[in-house]
Amino acid sequence: MGWEIFSESWIWLGLASIGFAILFNVPIRTVWVIFLLGALGGTLKLLTMKLGGGIILGSFFGAMLVGFLSIYAAHFRHAPPFVFAIPPVIPMVPGAFAYRMMLGVIRLTGDVDHATFTQLLDDTITNGLKAFFVLMALSLGVSAPMLLTRRESAKQIKVPLKIDELIKK
Amino acid sequence: MENSTIKSSSELSKILLEVGALLMASGANTSRIRITISRIANAYGFHTELLVTHRALMVTVSDEDNDYFQSSLKRTSPHGANFRMVSGISRMSWRVVDENWNFGQIWAEIERLKSLPHYPRLVVLFTVALAGASFCRLFGGGFVEMLVAFVATFVGLFVRQETVKRNFNGYLCIFFASFVSCLISGAFVKLGQGSEAEFAFATSVLYLIPGIPLINSLSDLLDGNIMNGIVRGTNGLIIAFAIALGMLSSILIYNI
Repeated sequence: MGWEIFSESWIWLGLASIGFAILFNVPIRTVWVIFLLGALGGTLKLLTMKLGGGIILGSFFGAMLVGFLSIYAAHFRHAPPFVFAIPPVIPMVPGAFAYRMMLGVIRLTGDVDHATFTQLLDDTITNGLKAFFVLMALSLGVSAPMLLTRRESAKQIKVPLKIDELIKK
Repeated sequence: MENSTIKSSSELSKILLEVGALLMASGANTSRIRITISRIANAYGFHTELLVTHRALMVTVSDEDNDYFQSSLKRTSPHGANFRMVSGISRMSWRVVDENWNFGQIWAEIERLKSLPHYPRLVVLFTVALAGASFCRLFGGGFVEMLVAFVATFVGLFVRQETVKRNFNGYLCIFFASFVSCLISGAFVKLGQGSEAEFAFATSVLYLIPGIPLINSLSDLLDGNIMNGIVRGTNGLIIAFAIALGMLSSILIYNI
């Protein structure tokens, strides 16, 4: 996998976020912002993984970027930051790890010899732990702006850039 | 507080429970429900204490001037993510504070939010299927695999919507959807289109992943709402279990 993957991966990351956004019935005015956040956050995650950071650190950085940008988005698109933050993060949720762990657990109950059992147990525990830690990193990352600013609502966070005037004609 | 000439705490607690139940059913996390409810109650000069669980809400509204308490309990409806509702209620709670709304205006706004349309079914099916194809591409699949993932997701989501409409058990709906998606993408693997076909098989069920329960679970845990976090996490795990069962059934049928 070379560097050229980044030229197209952002499109697919954005489209994946849009799919979940529509499934969760977000207001129509937020859809293109969600595409942007999904593309940016996902690219940061892939970039971190590419540079050897691993999937847990990558998910954490990606989710944190999405979390901070969602505060800005909330101010100029007028919806809670949570609406912008969740759909872009869902494609990063380790769904594949979670159901592979479940598949492993189900297979462990079958008649397997000792060598296969050890191998299966190995895979199952690896997948399960990865799923758990990636999830932890994601939710820490998304709530990082709220935890760091110690506010109850994004409305109380002062947005330094004057995005409002730029966007509204 | 000038806007509370009609200081009827029983009416207020009805509104608060309705708002809380709608938020819970639409996929908001516990701290958001708590903050929104106390924001609305404070606008009318009342103090609230709240108990939030997965299937029921309890609120106690008290007025500091006279020793009067009002406690009430409400069951929440089955869960299904609806961010338009969450966004609408959040904006409404700020307008209640800023524009001194009365109870009638709040009820009218709640009714309006309830009647807001969902996206047309074909749009949902198409975009989610496109997301499935995108996942397949990200995992390294080619054009043919993307097409398979698209079709598998499209049909699987259709099956899920139909079974939900027929009031099957929620986990059973997910099992059916995962089973059908895997039957479609598994047929492609069985026909032996090389090792790349596995990507379509692995990504055809990703639209079912319990993202909201799992993320909300962890954010509740971080927030100190340990009970709600555990409940939501267990819900997410059972969904993952249903997905895995559906996959396993089709793996057994095709023997791959």
